[in-house]
Amino acid sequence: MRMDRYTCKIILVFALCSLFFVPTISAQSNLTYTLKVGTTGEVKVLTEFPKEYQTEKININVQSTKYNVQGRDSLDFVFVNEPVVGLEAWGDSVYSYTDEADVRWTVWRNHKEVKNRSQRVLRQNAYSAFEQYVESATGKTSRGKGWVWWLFAGLALALALAMAITQVLQRQKEKELSSVEQEMLRRKRMGKRRHYGSQLYLWLLLLIIYSPIALIAVFSFTKSKILGNWTGFSMELYANLFTGKADAGLNSAIGYTVVIALVAALCSTILGTLAAIGIYNMRSRQRKMVTFLNSVPMINPDIITGISLFLLFVALGMSQGLATVCIAHVVFCTPYVVLSVLPRLSKMNPNTYEAALDLGATPAQALRMVMLPELWPGMLSGFVLALTLSVDDFGVTFFTKGSGGLETLSTFIYSDARKGGLTPELRPLFTIILLVMLTALIIINIRNTKNEEK
Amino acid sequence: MSKLVQIFSSRRTWAWPYVLFMLLFVVLPLILVGYYALTDINGAFTLHNFAKFFGHSEAIHTFFYSLMIAFFNTALCLLIGYPAAYIMAMEDFKTPKVMAMLFILPMWINCLLRTVATVELFNMFGLPLGEGALLFGLCYDYLPFMIYPIYNTLQKMDTSLVEAAQDLGANRWQSFWKVIVPLSMPGVYSGIVMVFMPTVSTFAIAELLTHNNIKLFGSLIQDYITTTDLLNYGAVLSLVLLVIIGVTSFFGEKDAKEEGGLV
Repeated sequence: MRMDRYTCKIILVFALCSLFFVPTISAQSNLTYTLKVGTTGEVKVLTEFPKEYQTEKININVQSTKYNVQGRDSLDFVFVNEPVVGLEAWGDSVYSYTDEADVRWTVWRNHKEVKNRSQRVLRQNAYSAFEQYVESATGKTSRGKGWVWWLFAGLALALALAMAITQVLQRQKEKELSSVEQEMLRRKRMGKRRHYGSQLYLWLLLLIIYSPIALIAVFSFTKSKILGNWTGFSMELYANLFTGKADAGLNSAIGYTVVIALVAALCSTILGTLAAIGIYNMRSRQRKMVTFLNSVPMINPDIITGISLFLLFVALGMSQGLATVCIAHVVFCTPYVVLSVLPRLSKMNPNTYEAALDLGATPAQALRMVMLPELWPGMLSGFVLALTLSVDDFGVTFFTKGSGGLETLSTFIYSDARKGGLTPELRPLFTIILLVMLTALIIINIRNTKNEEK
Repeated sequence: MSKLVQIFSSRRTWAWPYVLFMLLFVVLPLILVGYYALTDINGAFTLHNFAKFFGHSEAIHTFFYSLMIAFFNTALCLLIGYPAAYIMAMEDFKTPKVMAMLFILPMWINCLLRTVATVELFNMFGLPLGEGALLFGLCYDYLPFMIYPIYNTLQKMDTSLVEAAQDLGANRWQSFWKVIVPLSMPGVYSGIVMVFMPTVSTFAIAELLTHNNIKLFGSLIQDYITTTDLLNYGAVLSLVLLVIIGVTSFFGEKDAKEEGGLV
């Protein structure tokens, strides 16, 4: 299989995106924190963000090195704020992994300030303050912010240079062609020109778009719990994902997502196909009205669809759960199925169905043997579209899932992110999804080039 | 029985289940939003909820702030997306479909996960999470919605029109502004509608991108509607959003149609 230039470029962009994280990876994997028991210190932590920069002093007290995670020696840091008498305190543990030691530390704060939103902020700030403290205490640094940017700029420059060189090489090649071939090339390119500057713009845009995704993909190969901490290459997260060792919530979320997507896609495909046949045969006024009705869920943003259905279920006294989520997904998926089946209908000869009926077929037979084979591609693309819409949906699911503990992947990620961290196994999961999509894309690409060659 | 067969053999009736379904699960819920907005917690008619909205400075402020953010985000997406779509449509790419797909592919990665990854990226470079991060994240999430419609109209555009303009003495700048831009307007309008509407109603993304320090209208609605006592007030807020959506899509559709008619 010959790799064409575009497949190469796609891979190049991904490679560049991944290279983006090399500095952090290399810096972190070389870093060893060595703080001894009894080490004490003080760090300032931002408590409100970003409006008021209030800092709070937090004492670091290394209490033991006995804390053990998976057979590795680790340090136990405890940040203890001066306890205020009469106020409840809360502890919030964060695990930070280095290649040498798993560091567990706890932040104690006054209870009155505990709010969902400030919790994560505090944790982030305490984390960076802690890092700074360790850096100053050990004289080692884990961050190379400055040269990350330089590397980024350098890579962009290299990309530009590579493009320029290919252009020059191509020009050279074209000069060697005969005048007839040159003329043919010129005609082929009539009206379309190559501007390497503008192509660079596209590729840079892609680089930015794909860098967060590359972040997920790269860090799926390490077992650190925090996204952005590199603790050495490991396939453990993938293993966890496939052996069911991942978080129980995640496993059930994956299950629910699949079930809901399949049910919703199947129902909406059947409903939508029938509706499309009906709409196609309607008179213009009726047709206009139903088409308008069909477009309403597509125009409505998620939150409106979600809230209005939520109100309906409240008004009807329905308990919200799997059934309501499925209904809600059918609501916003079906219009897309209708729209993907309608074009197939207008391509079809409208008389074949009647001919089948005249020849003695029952409507069901005529539908099955005459219509379905023609409509099949439209139904399939509608089905796939419904699947992806259902899997991706957050807004509607959020309002219709009820409080019975039903979570799909989206809502799971949301509640996870609110709590302050992502379940690490999400990283390999979405890397796999991305790889599947990319493979599909490359297959399309190769097919296209083959067709062109023919 | 034969009558039943006759009813089903006229294929018009096959859409009935769908129409019924839509009436029950699309039209009725939308009416219910209005109903809840006009009643109090016991179901009695009241205008108190509306009065509360107009006296509620936080809600009003959030509303206009969200409109502003949506406006800036749409402008940003247009500014970044139009050149991208233009380049994709005009440049001599061997496989333009793949290029277009590459811009759409990220949409298959869950948008919340991408948002979390963006937040981590910001943290990694030590950039503060605030308005800048919010705009970056929103633009990042909705850029494909802007690029795709513009790319579609530009691609379908008859390039001989541009050549004709140039033959008639227009320079490239003139032919761009006077031929290409007007012809791509339907795509631009639908792109604007497709970016503006979700941005104005976004809730979770904004929360994650700013650590819930900046509240958008969507988050406000979410807060009220999930609180049982304040459900009716939440319905009023949803109604306000619904009006904005209706106005936007109405103008968007009208403009797109007019421009489409010109072609």
